[in-house]
Amino acid sequence: MSGFGVRRRDLLAALAFAAPLAGARPSLASAWHNIDVAGYVPSLSFDMTDATTGKPVTAEDFRGKLVLMYLGYTQCPDVCPLTLQHVAEALQRLGKDAADVRLLFVTVDPDRDTLPVLKQYTAAFSPDFVGLRGDADQIARVARRYRLAYSVTPATKAHPYEVTHSSAIYVFGRDGSPKLLIASLATTSPDIAGTADDLRRLLHAPKPGLIARLSAMF
Amino acid sequence: MLFGPAFAAATAGKAAAARRMHRLVAWPAGVDGTVPLGIIVAAGVIAFLCQDFPAYLPVWAPWDFSWLEFLAVALGAWWYARGVALTPAAARPSVARRLSFVAGTALIYTVLQTHFDYMAQHMFFLNRLQHLAMHHLGPFLIALAWPGAAIRRGMPEPLHRLVDDPLLARVLHVIQRPVIAGAVFVGLIDLWLIPAVNFKAMLDPRLYAVMNWSMVVDGLLFWCLVLDPRPSPPARASFAARMITIVAVMFPQIMLGSYLTFTNRDLYSFYDLCGRLYPTVSALNDQHIGGIIVWIPASMMSSAAFMLTLNHIRIVEDSVPPKAMTEEERRMAAAARRWTGR
Repeated sequence: MSGFGVRRRDLLAALAFAAPLAGARPSLASAWHNIDVAGYVPSLSFDMTDATTGKPVTAEDFRGKLVLMYLGYTQCPDVCPLTLQHVAEALQRLGKDAADVRLLFVTVDPDRDTLPVLKQYTAAFSPDFVGLRGDADQIARVARRYRLAYSVTPATKAHPYEVTHSSAIYVFGRDGSPKLLIASLATTSPDIAGTADDLRRLLHAPKPGLIARLSAMF
Repeated sequence: MLFGPAFAAATAGKAAAARRMHRLVAWPAGVDGTVPLGIIVAAGVIAFLCQDFPAYLPVWAPWDFSWLEFLAVALGAWWYARGVALTPAAARPSVARRLSFVAGTALIYTVLQTHFDYMAQHMFFLNRLQHLAMHHLGPFLIALAWPGAAIRRGMPEPLHRLVDDPLLARVLHVIQRPVIAGAVFVGLIDLWLIPAVNFKAMLDPRLYAVMNWSMVVDGLLFWCLVLDPRPSPPARASFAARMITIVAVMFPQIMLGSYLTFTNRDLYSFYDLCGRLYPTVSALNDQHIGGIIVWIPASMMSSAAFMLTLNHIRIVEDSVPPKAMTEEERRMAAAARRWTGR
């Protein structure tokens, strides 16, 4: 049974191994009303077509704005309209500040959501909403980057046309760095006031320092 | 473990022996350089396709290509194949062992570098299956194949110095102590299932890679420690210590698995937020099935390892030449043989 006894050295080694891991626990219950994802979600990056202008856009075109990103489709019967309505209400609470916020509504159903359809749909909720349409690869790249699930199953004789998508809204700062994940707006008990607070706080945050800007590049 | 002292012993005649082994098989000139180059070129092509055309790739193509994961599997498999070919026929690992290596390696590759990875990111119970494959079953099969000697023989000469480095042996000597190996084995499963840690690991691609690597490497270290067919020494721990370790790691996994199975609170909000593969499966159902996977198959691996260790003990004992027996002992052994079959 040699090598089975616990030595003090072993215990110390185990502690040394465990201590930094214990310190790495992220805190979900921060001062924010939503989930703080700063520093661990990839920064804003995509390559799609803007339905309001019909022109290709990338994340660079939204620098300087606070960006909310949400995956959905215009024929969504419940979750999308509910969520977008809640976001619109949160933006109304911001008053003039809302001009610096954009919600990017990324359609996962580009076959049916053409640019005019998408433009009309987002305009019905808020002028600050932008519909984004991409080809299958452009959507897959966004879904992979932000770990979002989606699927489109064309109709067959046995099944109707079916679309699934994630419910989270990502929030990115003016520099494209990840900030928050909003969970409640997709539910029937939305924290609209809390979300408006969070957005206001992000809009009036002091300019990030050099280190924060450097770390946002990765 | 993988690169134990048994084969580190050969030093001076190594190069000469390698040259002799080359002559044992008809090894076409140029293969040694071409295959690794081909692997790197293939990796580059796959990386490009995955980056730009994710929607058109088949399910067996990587969802999120990783150079490190791809090269580790491909080079490991190539070195193993080359090492086996260079081994004199009499000393080659059996077909069963070779198949065990291929199955274990293919399993780890499948759960990490195909679209199964996407599925495992969007269903908790599939995520548990992924961890079961890369921390338990895959490394278990690789350890059963006991491929260290073949891989070492198959890798390029300059790398031998790296795997023979006494520092590596010293590090392994510490982390493969049964108490530490068992604690790390269970600790890693627990760590990545702490809800806050799990949430972060699922969203952060860097942490996700650390999680997967830690599981695979720890799985290999653990199963190579406990499934070592040799007695101690040269194995790092006695059969008894290893059997105790195998049983000891079972209970924390049973506790964790049953906790997940019987909890009526959604602990892992990531899947609800970022979407489930099958939205009709509720968060709690998903979590309960995941709990059963942690609970039953994971701890059953301990039973399998326990029986395999008993078999290793039997083989080792049978290989010890019998000591001189008295007439009385010989008669008793002969009588016993009639019903034990040994």
